[in-house]
Amino acid sequence: MKNSRRDKINKILEIPQEVYSNVPKIIITGFDEMIVENFKGILEYEDFYVRINTYIGVVNINGFELKLENISDEDIKVTGKIESFDIERIE
Amino acid sequence: MFFKILLSYLIGYLRIEVTGYYIERFINLCNSNHILTWNLKKGKNANILLNIEINSLKEIVKLAKRTKCKIKIRNKKGLPFLINKYKKRKIFIASLIVIILLFFLSSNFIWNIEIKEDEENKAYNIQQDIEEAGLKVGQLKRKLNTKEIINKIRLKRDDIAWIGIELKGTNAIVKVVKATEKPDIIEDSQYCNIVSDKEGVVTKINAQKGTAQVKVGDTITKGTILIGGWMEGKYTGIRYVHAEGEIEAKVWYTKTKKVKYKTTETQETGNQEKKFSMKFNNFQINFNKGVSKFKIYDTMETEKKFQLFSDFYLPISIVEKTNKELKKVKKSYSPEEAKNLGIQELEEELDKQIEDKESIINKNINAYEKEDHVEIYVTYEVLEKIGTNDKI
Repeated sequence: MKNSRRDKINKILEIPQEVYSNVPKIIITGFDEMIVENFKGILEYEDFYVRINTYIGVVNINGFELKLENISDEDIKVTGKIESFDIERIE
Repeated sequence: MFFKILLSYLIGYLRIEVTGYYIERFINLCNSNHILTWNLKKGKNANILLNIEINSLKEIVKLAKRTKCKIKIRNKKGLPFLINKYKKRKIFIASLIVIILLFFLSSNFIWNIEIKEDEENKAYNIQQDIEEAGLKVGQLKRKLNTKEIINKIRLKRDDIAWIGIELKGTNAIVKVVKATEKPDIIEDSQYCNIVSDKEGVVTKINAQKGTAQVKVGDTITKGTILIGGWMEGKYTGIRYVHAEGEIEAKVWYTKTKKVKYKTTETQETGNQEKKFSMKFNNFQINFNKGVSKFKIYDTMETEKKFQLFSDFYLPISIVEKTNKELKKVKKSYSPEEAKNLGIQELEEELDKQIEDKESIINKNINAYEKEDHVEIYVTYEVLEKIGTNDKI
Protein backbone atom coordinates (compact mmCIF):
# COMPACT_ATOMS: atom_id res chain seq x y z
CA MET A 1 0.00 0.00 0.00
CA LYS A 2 2.78 2.32 0.97
CA ASN A 3 4.72 1.45 -2.16
CA SER A 4 1.85 2.15 -4.50
CA ARG A 5 1.31 5.57 -2.95
CA ARG A 6 4.95 6.45 -3.59
CA ASP A 7 4.52 5.23 -7.15
CA LYS A 8 1.60 7.56 -7.60
CA ILE A 9 3.49 10.57 -6.32
CA ASN A 10 6.41 9.76 -8.54
CA LYS A 11 4.12 9.42 -11.50
CA ILE A 12 2.61 12.83 -10.85
CA LEU A 13 6.05 14.40 -10.48
CA GLU A 14 7.19 12.61 -13.65
CA ILE A 15 10.37 11.24 -12.13
CA PRO A 16 11.97 8.67 -14.45
CA GLN A 17 11.23 5.13 -13.41
CA GLU A 18 14.84 3.94 -13.40
CA VAL A 19 15.72 6.63 -10.90
CA TYR A 20 13.35 5.71 -8.13
CA SER A 21 13.10 1.95 -8.72
CA ASN A 22 15.32 -0.92 -9.76
CA VAL A 23 13.73 -1.20 -13.16
CA PRO A 24 16.44 -1.53 -15.84
CA LYS A 25 16.77 0.87 -18.68
CA ILE A 26 18.10 -0.46 -21.97
CA ILE A 27 19.52 1.98 -24.48
CA ILE A 28 20.52 0.84 -27.96
CA THR A 29 22.56 3.32 -29.98
CA GLY A 30 22.89 2.22 -33.56
CA PHE A 31 23.27 -1.51 -33.93
CA ASP A 32 26.68 -1.75 -32.29
CA GLU A 33 26.21 -0.38 -28.81
CA MET A 34 23.90 -1.25 -25.98
CA ILE A 35 23.77 0.14 -22.48
CA VAL A 36 21.87 -1.59 -19.68
CA GLU A 37 21.31 0.54 -16.62
CA ASN A 38 20.36 -0.82 -13.21
CA PHE A 39 21.77 -4.28 -13.76
CA LYS A 40 22.50 -6.81 -11.11
CA GLY A 41 25.30 -8.91 -12.55
CA ILE A 42 26.58 -10.96 -15.43
CA LEU A 43 25.33 -14.51 -15.67
CA GLU A 44 27.19 -15.64 -18.76
CA TYR A 45 29.68 -14.04 -21.05
CA GLU A 46 30.87 -15.47 -24.33
CA ASP A 47 32.12 -13.94 -27.53
CA PHE A 48 28.68 -14.34 -29.11
CA TYR A 49 26.34 -14.30 -26.15
CA VAL A 50 25.89 -12.12 -23.08
CA ARG A 51 23.39 -12.79 -20.30
CA ILE A 52 22.78 -9.88 -18.01
CA ASN A 53 20.79 -10.26 -14.83
CA THR A 54 18.51 -7.44 -13.74
CA TYR A 55 16.05 -7.07 -10.89
CA ILE A 56 12.98 -7.93 -12.95
CA GLY A 57 14.44 -10.46 -15.37
CA VAL A 58 17.30 -11.45 -17.63
CA VAL A 59 18.47 -9.73 -20.82
CA ASN A 60 20.06 -11.98 -23.43
CA ILE A 61 22.15 -10.43 -26.17
CA ASN A 62 23.21 -12.36 -29.26
CA GLY A 63 25.84 -11.12 -31.69
CA PHE A 64 29.47 -11.31 -32.74
CA GLU A 65 32.64 -10.03 -31.15
CA LEU A 66 30.78 -8.76 -28.15
CA LYS A 67 32.83 -6.71 -25.69
CA LEU A 68 31.98 -5.38 -22.28
CA GLU A 69 33.39 -1.94 -22.63
CA ASN A 70 32.51 -0.42 -19.30
CA ILE A 71 31.22 -1.96 -16.16
CA SER A 72 30.26 0.26 -13.29
CA ASP A 73 27.94 -0.15 -10.33
CA GLU A 74 24.79 0.74 -12.17
CA ASP A 75 25.35 0.29 -15.85
CA ILE A 76 27.08 -1.95 -18.34
CA LYS A 77 28.00 -1.11 -21.91
CA VAL A 78 28.07 -3.88 -24.47
CA THR A 79 29.61 -3.21 -27.88
CA GLY A 80 29.97 -5.41 -30.92
CA LYS A 81 27.77 -6.61 -33.73
CA ILE A 82 24.45 -7.12 -31.99
CA GLU A 83 22.16 -9.47 -33.84
CA SER A 84 19.26 -9.84 -31.45
CA PHE A 85 18.29 -9.61 -27.85
CA ASP A 86 15.50 -11.04 -25.78
CA ILE A 87 14.08 -10.77 -22.31
CA GLU A 88 13.23 -13.43 -19.74
CA ARG A 89 10.70 -12.28 -17.19
CA ILE A 90 10.78 -13.41 -13.59
CA GLU A 91 7.30 -13.53 -12.17
CA MET B 1 33.71 6.89 -16.08
CA PHE B 2 35.58 8.25 -19.01
CA PHE B 3 37.39 10.62 -16.72
CA LYS B 4 38.45 7.76 -14.47
CA ILE B 5 39.89 5.86 -17.43
CA LEU B 6 41.75 8.97 -18.54
CA LEU B 7 43.17 9.37 -15.06
CA SER B 8 44.23 5.76 -15.00
CA TYR B 9 46.25 6.39 -18.14
CA LEU B 10 48.28 8.91 -16.19
CA ILE B 11 48.73 6.61 -13.23
CA GLY B 12 49.24 3.54 -15.36
CA TYR B 13 47.02 0.58 -16.09
CA LEU B 14 47.38 -3.12 -16.81
CA ARG B 15 45.81 -5.41 -19.36
CA ILE B 16 45.46 -8.79 -17.72
CA GLU B 17 44.33 -12.17 -18.84
CA VAL B 18 42.08 -14.14 -16.51
CA THR B 19 41.64 -17.83 -17.13
CA GLY B 20 39.17 -20.02 -15.30
CA TYR B 21 35.67 -21.48 -15.27
CA TYR B 22 33.99 -18.89 -13.08
CA ILE B 23 34.78 -15.83 -15.09
CA GLU B 24 31.30 -14.35 -14.81
CA ARG B 25 31.53 -14.64 -11.07
CA PHE B 26 34.89 -12.97 -11.15
CA ILE B 27 33.46 -10.02 -13.08
CA ASN B 28 30.53 -9.69 -10.73
CA LEU B 29 32.83 -9.77 -7.73
CA CYS B 30 35.01 -7.05 -9.26
CA ASN B 31 31.91 -5.02 -9.74
CA SER B 32 30.56 -5.46 -6.25
CA ASN B 33 33.98 -4.59 -4.79
CA HIS B 34 34.03 -1.38 -6.80
CA ILE B 35 37.06 -2.27 -8.88
CA LEU B 36 37.13 -0.42 -12.16
CA THR B 37 37.41 -2.72 -15.18
CA TRP B 38 37.00 -1.83 -18.81
CA ASN B 39 37.43 -3.20 -22.30
CA LEU B 40 36.47 -6.73 -21.44
CA LYS B 41 37.03 -9.13 -24.30
CA LYS B 42 36.37 -12.82 -24.40
CA GLY B 43 39.28 -14.94 -25.60
CA LYS B 44 39.00 -18.20 -27.50
CA ASN B 45 39.39 -20.51 -24.52
CA ALA B 46 38.01 -19.98 -21.08
CA ASN B 47 39.89 -16.75 -20.70
CA ILE B 48 39.11 -13.07 -20.76
CA LEU B 49 41.14 -9.92 -21.36
CA LEU B 50 40.45 -6.81 -19.35
CA ASN B 51 42.02 -3.55 -18.20
CA ILE B 52 42.44 -2.67 -14.57
CA GLU B 53 43.96 0.18 -12.64
CA ILE B 54 47.45 -0.47 -11.36
CA ASN B 55 46.61 -0.02 -7.69
CA SER B 56 43.75 -2.51 -7.75
CA LEU B 57 45.97 -5.44 -8.74
CA LYS B 58 46.29 -6.77 -5.18
CA GLU B 59 42.54 -7.01 -4.75
CA ILE B 60 42.17 -8.63 -8.14
CA VAL B 61 44.67 -11.31 -7.18
CA LYS B 62 42.67 -12.02 -4.05
CA LEU B 63 39.44 -12.26 -5.99
CA ALA B 64 41.05 -14.53 -8.55
CA LYS B 65 42.13 -16.88 -5.81
CA ARG B 66 38.58 -16.97 -4.49
CA THR B 67 37.13 -17.80 -7.90
CA LYS B 68 39.99 -20.16 -8.76
CA CYS B 69 41.12 -18.16 -11.77
CA LYS B 70 44.63 -17.62 -13.01
CA ILE B 71 45.92 -14.15 -13.72
CA LYS B 72 48.57 -13.19 -16.25
CA ILE B 73 49.70 -9.66 -16.98
CA ARG B 74 49.68 -9.11 -20.71
CA ASN B 75 50.55 -5.43 -21.09
CA LYS B 76 51.63 -2.52 -18.97
CA LYS B 77 50.32 0.72 -20.33
CA GLY B 78 50.17 4.31 -19.29
CA LEU B 79 52.49 7.19 -18.72
CA PRO B 80 54.72 5.77 -15.94
CA PHE B 81 55.59 2.72 -18.05
CA LEU B 82 56.19 4.89 -21.08
CA ILE B 83 58.62 7.07 -19.17
CA ASN B 84 60.32 4.01 -17.76
CA LYS B 85 60.80 2.69 -21.28
CA TYR B 86 62.44 5.90 -22.47
CA LYS B 87 64.65 6.22 -19.42
CA LYS B 88 67.15 3.89 -21.06
CA ARG B 89 67.29 5.89 -24.29
CA LYS B 90 69.35 8.78 -23.09
CA ILE B 91 70.35 10.19 -26.47
CA PHE B 92 66.75 10.32 -27.57
CA ILE B 93 65.76 12.27 -24.48
CA ALA B 94 68.76 14.58 -24.81
CA SER B 95 67.98 15.37 -28.44
CA LEU B 96 64.36 15.97 -27.56
CA ILE B 97 65.41 18.50 -24.95
CA VAL B 98 67.81 20.12 -27.41
CA ILE B 99 65.08 20.44 -29.99
CA ILE B 100 62.71 22.03 -27.51
CA LEU B 101 65.45 24.42 -26.37
CA LEU B 102 66.28 25.35 -29.96
CA PHE B 103 62.65 25.91 -30.60
CA PHE B 104 62.35 28.37 -27.76
CA LEU B 105 65.63 30.02 -28.62
CA SER B 106 64.73 30.53 -32.24
CA SER B 107 61.45 32.08 -31.29
CA ASN B 108 63.42 34.96 -29.82
CA PHE B 109 64.66 36.07 -33.22
CA ILE B 110 63.07 37.76 -36.13
CA TRP B 111 63.01 35.50 -39.16
CA ASN B 112 60.80 37.35 -41.54
CA ILE B 113 60.31 40.96 -42.42
CA GLU B 114 57.13 41.72 -44.22
CA ILE B 115 56.63 45.11 -45.76
CA LYS B 116 53.07 46.15 -46.30
CA GLU B 117 52.51 49.15 -48.44
CA ASP B 118 50.22 50.50 -51.04
CA GLU B 119 50.62 48.60 -54.29
CA GLU B 120 50.22 51.66 -56.45
CA ASN B 121 52.81 53.96 -54.96
CA LYS B 122 55.58 51.98 -53.44
CA ALA B 123 58.23 53.70 -51.43
CA TYR B 124 61.50 53.31 -53.23
CA ASN B 125 64.19 51.19 -51.58
CA ILE B 126 62.40 51.04 -48.26
CA GLN B 127 63.74 47.58 -47.51
CA GLN B 128 67.32 48.74 -47.54
CA ASP B 129 66.55 51.65 -45.28
CA ILE B 130 64.80 49.40 -42.81
CA GLU B 131 67.85 47.15 -42.68
CA GLU B 132 70.17 50.07 -42.22
CA ALA B 133 68.03 51.40 -39.41
CA GLY B 134 68.56 48.17 -37.53
CA LEU B 135 65.71 45.82 -38.36
CA LYS B 136 67.39 42.76 -39.86
CA VAL B 137 66.52 39.12 -40.31
CA GLY B 138 68.02 37.10 -37.49
CA GLN B 139 67.97 39.81 -34.90
CA LEU B 140 67.08 39.34 -31.27
CA LYS B 141 63.60 40.51 -30.57
CA ARG B 142 64.49 41.74 -27.10
CA LYS B 143 67.08 44.22 -28.33
CA LEU B 144 64.81 45.65 -30.95
CA ASN B 145 63.70 49.17 -30.30
CA THR B 146 60.93 49.79 -32.77
CA LYS B 147 60.48 53.42 -31.83
CA GLU B 148 64.10 54.21 -32.51
CA ILE B 149 63.99 52.45 -35.87
CA ILE B 150 60.86 54.28 -36.86
CA ASN B 151 62.45 57.58 -35.92
CA LYS B 152 65.60 56.76 -37.86
CA ILE B 153 63.68 55.89 -40.99
CA ARG B 154 61.49 58.93 -40.71
CA LEU B 155 64.47 61.17 -40.29
CA LYS B 156 66.15 59.69 -43.31
CA ARG B 157 63.20 59.74 -45.64
CA ASP B 158 60.77 62.53 -46.11
CA ASP B 159 58.43 60.75 -48.50
CA ILE B 160 56.85 58.60 -45.83
CA ALA B 161 53.76 59.78 -44.06
CA TRP B 162 53.54 57.02 -41.52
CA ILE B 163 55.50 53.91 -40.62
CA GLY B 164 54.70 51.27 -38.06
CA ILE B 165 56.49 48.12 -36.96
CA GLU B 166 54.50 45.30 -35.45
CA LEU B 167 56.14 42.19 -34.05
CA LYS B 168 54.04 39.09 -34.45
CA GLY B 169 55.76 35.91 -33.43
CA THR B 170 58.97 35.74 -35.44
CA ASN B 171 57.44 38.00 -37.99
CA ALA B 172 58.04 41.73 -38.20
CA ILE B 173 55.35 43.53 -40.13
CA VAL B 174 56.35 46.95 -41.37
CA LYS B 175 53.51 49.08 -42.56
CA VAL B 176 54.43 52.01 -44.72
CA VAL B 177 52.16 54.75 -45.91
CA LYS B 178 53.72 56.93 -48.51
CA ALA B 179 53.04 60.60 -48.44
CA THR B 180 51.36 61.90 -51.54
CA GLU B 181 53.35 64.61 -53.15
CA LYS B 182 51.55 67.86 -52.69
CA PRO B 183 51.80 70.67 -55.18
CA ASP B 184 53.25 73.88 -53.84
CA ILE B 185 50.38 75.83 -52.45
CA ILE B 186 50.64 79.50 -53.02
CA GLU B 187 48.80 81.46 -50.43
CA ASP B 188 46.31 84.07 -51.39
CA SER B 189 48.47 86.83 -50.01
CA GLN B 190 51.33 85.98 -52.38
CA TYR B 191 51.54 87.27 -55.91
CA CYS B 192 51.35 84.82 -58.75
CA ASN B 193 50.71 84.35 -62.44
CA ILE B 194 48.56 81.72 -64.02
CA VAL B 195 50.68 79.68 -66.38
CA SER B 196 49.63 77.12 -68.94
CA ASP B 197 50.48 73.52 -68.19
CA LYS B 198 49.43 72.11 -71.55
CA GLU B 199 49.62 72.93 -75.20
CA GLY B 200 46.53 74.03 -76.98
CA VAL B 201 44.40 76.84 -78.33
CA VAL B 202 42.59 79.22 -76.00
CA THR B 203 38.83 79.17 -76.41
CA LYS B 204 37.77 81.14 -73.41
CA ILE B 205 39.60 83.40 -71.01
CA ASN B 206 38.15 85.17 -68.05
CA ALA B 207 40.49 87.02 -65.77
CA GLN B 208 39.00 87.85 -62.41
CA LYS B 209 42.19 89.25 -60.97
CA GLY B 210 45.17 90.27 -63.01
CA THR B 211 45.59 90.97 -66.68
CA ALA B 212 44.89 88.48 -69.44
CA GLN B 213 48.00 87.96 -71.51
CA VAL B 214 46.47 85.86 -74.29
CA LYS B 215 43.46 86.24 -76.51
CA VAL B 216 40.93 83.68 -77.67
CA GLY B 217 42.42 81.77 -80.56
CA ASP B 218 46.02 82.07 -79.41
CA THR B 219 48.11 78.98 -79.42
CA ILE B 220 49.83 78.37 -76.15
CA THR B 221 52.65 76.12 -75.09
CA LYS B 222 53.80 74.97 -71.73
CA GLY B 223 54.88 77.87 -69.61
CA THR B 224 53.02 80.58 -71.41
CA ILE B 225 51.70 83.18 -69.00
CA LEU B 226 47.93 83.23 -69.35
CA ILE B 227 46.94 85.68 -66.70
CA GLY B 228 49.60 88.01 -65.38
CA GLY B 229 49.62 88.73 -61.70
CA TRP B 230 49.62 92.47 -62.05
CA MET B 231 47.20 95.22 -62.82
CA GLU B 232 47.89 98.39 -64.63
CA GLY B 233 45.93 101.42 -63.78
CA LYS B 234 46.22 104.74 -65.42
CA TYR B 235 46.96 106.47 -62.21
CA THR B 236 48.00 103.76 -59.82
CA GLY B 237 50.74 102.28 -61.98
CA ILE B 238 51.61 98.62 -61.82
CA ARG B 239 50.17 96.74 -58.88
CA TYR B 240 50.92 93.07 -58.23
CA VAL B 241 48.08 90.71 -57.34
CA HIS B 242 47.33 87.05 -56.83
CA ALA B 243 46.01 86.16 -60.27
CA GLU B 244 42.70 84.39 -60.51
CA GLY B 245 40.65 83.40 -63.48
CA GLU B 246 39.33 80.70 -65.72
CA ILE B 247 40.90 79.65 -68.95
CA GLU B 248 39.47 77.05 -71.25
CA ALA B 249 41.47 75.68 -74.09
CA LYS B 250 41.33 73.09 -76.78
CA VAL B 251 43.98 70.55 -76.00
CA TRP B 252 45.15 67.87 -78.35
CA TYR B 253 46.14 64.48 -77.18
CA THR B 254 48.03 62.61 -79.85
CA LYS B 255 49.32 59.11 -79.84
CA THR B 256 51.16 57.38 -82.61
CA LYS B 257 51.88 53.81 -83.31
CA LYS B 258 53.56 51.73 -85.92
CA VAL B 259 51.94 48.41 -86.68
CA LYS B 260 53.97 45.99 -88.75
CA TYR B 261 52.21 43.71 -91.18
CA LYS B 262 54.36 40.76 -90.26
CA THR B 263 55.09 40.21 -86.59
CA THR B 264 56.16 37.37 -84.36
CA GLU B 265 54.32 37.04 -81.12
CA THR B 266 55.14 34.84 -78.18
CA GLN B 267 52.37 32.69 -76.84
CA GLU B 268 52.15 30.28 -73.94
CA THR B 269 51.79 26.68 -75.01
CA GLY B 270 50.39 25.64 -71.66
CA ASN B 271 53.26 23.31 -70.88
CA GLN B 272 55.06 24.10 -67.67
CA GLU B 273 57.55 22.54 -65.35
CA LYS B 274 58.24 23.23 -61.73
CA LYS B 275 61.61 23.27 -60.06
CA PHE B 276 62.11 23.48 -56.37
CA SER B 277 65.03 24.65 -54.34
CA MET B 278 65.64 25.28 -50.70
CA LYS B 279 67.06 28.48 -49.38
CA PHE B 280 68.74 29.12 -46.06
CA ASN B 281 69.22 32.83 -45.83
CA ASN B 282 71.50 33.22 -48.87
CA PHE B 283 72.56 29.63 -49.40
CA GLN B 284 70.51 27.81 -51.98
CA ILE B 285 70.15 24.12 -52.74
CA ASN B 286 68.57 23.05 -55.98
CA PHE B 287 66.59 19.85 -55.98
CA ASN B 288 66.23 19.64 -59.74
CA LYS B 289 69.39 19.87 -61.73
CA GLY B 290 70.01 20.82 -65.29
CA VAL B 291 68.56 23.35 -67.60
CA SER B 292 64.98 23.54 -68.64
CA LYS B 293 63.72 21.19 -71.30
CA PHE B 294 62.00 24.02 -73.11
CA LYS B 295 63.75 26.10 -75.70
CA ILE B 296 61.95 29.35 -75.04
CA TYR B 297 60.39 29.87 -71.69
CA ASP B 298 59.34 32.34 -69.09
CA THR B 299 60.42 31.90 -65.49
CA MET B 300 58.41 32.82 -62.46
CA GLU B 301 59.82 32.58 -58.97
CA THR B 302 57.79 32.36 -55.83
CA GLU B 303 59.33 32.11 -52.42
CA LYS B 304 57.57 30.58 -49.48
CA LYS B 305 58.89 30.76 -45.98
CA PHE B 306 58.70 27.80 -43.67
CA GLN B 307 56.13 28.30 -41.04
CA LEU B 308 55.63 26.30 -37.90
CA PHE B 309 52.58 28.08 -36.59
CA SER B 310 50.72 30.99 -38.00
CA ASP B 311 53.33 33.47 -36.80
CA PHE B 312 56.44 31.41 -36.32
CA TYR B 313 58.62 31.77 -39.38
CA LEU B 314 61.86 29.92 -39.81
CA PRO B 315 64.80 31.25 -41.85
CA ILE B 316 64.30 28.48 -44.38
CA SER B 317 62.30 29.02 -47.51
CA ILE B 318 61.30 26.96 -50.49
CA VAL B 319 61.71 28.61 -53.85
CA GLU B 320 59.45 27.40 -56.56
CA LYS B 321 60.46 28.12 -60.12
CA THR B 322 57.84 27.71 -62.75
CA ASN B 323 59.00 27.54 -66.34
CA LYS B 324 56.31 28.20 -68.84
CA GLU B 325 56.98 27.16 -72.37
CA LEU B 326 56.52 29.80 -74.99
CA LYS B 327 56.24 29.54 -78.72
CA LYS B 328 56.69 32.11 -81.36
CA VAL B 329 53.77 32.62 -83.62
CA LYS B 330 54.18 34.47 -86.84
CA LYS B 331 51.28 36.67 -87.63
CA SER B 332 50.57 38.64 -90.71
CA TYR B 333 47.95 41.31 -91.03
CA SER B 334 46.46 42.85 -94.06
CA PRO B 335 46.87 46.65 -94.14
CA GLU B 336 43.24 47.08 -93.16
CA GLU B 337 43.52 44.76 -90.18
CA ALA B 338 46.71 46.36 -88.97
CA LYS B 339 45.10 49.75 -89.15
CA ASN B 340 42.04 48.68 -87.17
CA LEU B 341 44.18 46.99 -84.55
CA GLY B 342 46.37 50.03 -84.09
CA ILE B 343 43.42 52.39 -83.87
CA GLN B 344 41.71 50.24 -81.30
CA GLU B 345 44.78 50.07 -79.08
CA LEU B 346 45.45 53.77 -79.31
CA GLU B 347 41.86 54.66 -78.51
CA GLU B 348 41.94 52.49 -75.45
CA GLU B 349 45.09 54.18 -74.26
CA LEU B 350 43.67 57.63 -74.81
CA ASP B 351 40.40 56.74 -73.10
CA LYS B 352 42.38 55.82 -70.02
CA GLN B 353 44.23 59.10 -70.08
CA ILE B 354 41.23 61.36 -70.45
CA GLU B 355 38.94 61.17 -67.50
CA ASP B 356 36.15 63.44 -68.62
CA LYS B 357 34.71 61.73 -71.68
CA GLU B 358 32.09 64.41 -72.34
CA SER B 359 34.62 67.10 -72.99
CA ILE B 360 35.96 65.33 -76.06
CA ILE B 361 34.99 67.37 -79.04
CA ASN B 362 36.67 65.69 -81.89
CA LYS B 363 38.46 62.53 -82.77
CA ASN B 364 40.95 62.56 -85.56
CA ILE B 365 42.45 59.42 -86.98
CA ASN B 366 45.13 59.37 -89.63
CA ALA B 367 46.80 56.32 -91.05
CA TYR B 368 49.69 56.25 -93.47
CA GLU B 369 50.36 52.96 -95.15
CA LYS B 370 54.02 52.26 -95.78
CA GLU B 371 55.81 49.36 -97.35
CA ASP B 372 55.96 47.03 -94.35
CA HIS B 373 54.08 48.90 -91.69
CA VAL B 374 51.27 51.32 -91.12
CA GLU B 375 51.66 54.51 -89.10
CA ILE B 376 48.63 55.55 -87.15
CA TYR B 377 48.01 58.91 -85.55
CA VAL B 378 45.04 59.29 -83.27
CA THR B 379 44.29 62.76 -81.99
CA TYR B 380 41.63 63.70 -79.48
CA GLU B 381 40.51 67.24 -79.24
CA VAL B 382 39.44 68.00 -75.70
CA LEU B 383 38.07 71.12 -74.08
CA GLU B 384 39.79 71.56 -70.76
CA LYS B 385 40.34 74.02 -68.03
CA ILE B 386 44.05 74.70 -67.81
CA GLY B 387 46.40 76.79 -65.83
CA THR B 388 48.42 76.51 -62.67
CA ASN B 389 49.63 79.07 -60.25
CA ASP B 390 53.19 80.16 -60.52
CA LYS B 391 54.98 82.50 -58.18
CA ILE B 392 56.32 85.70 -59.62
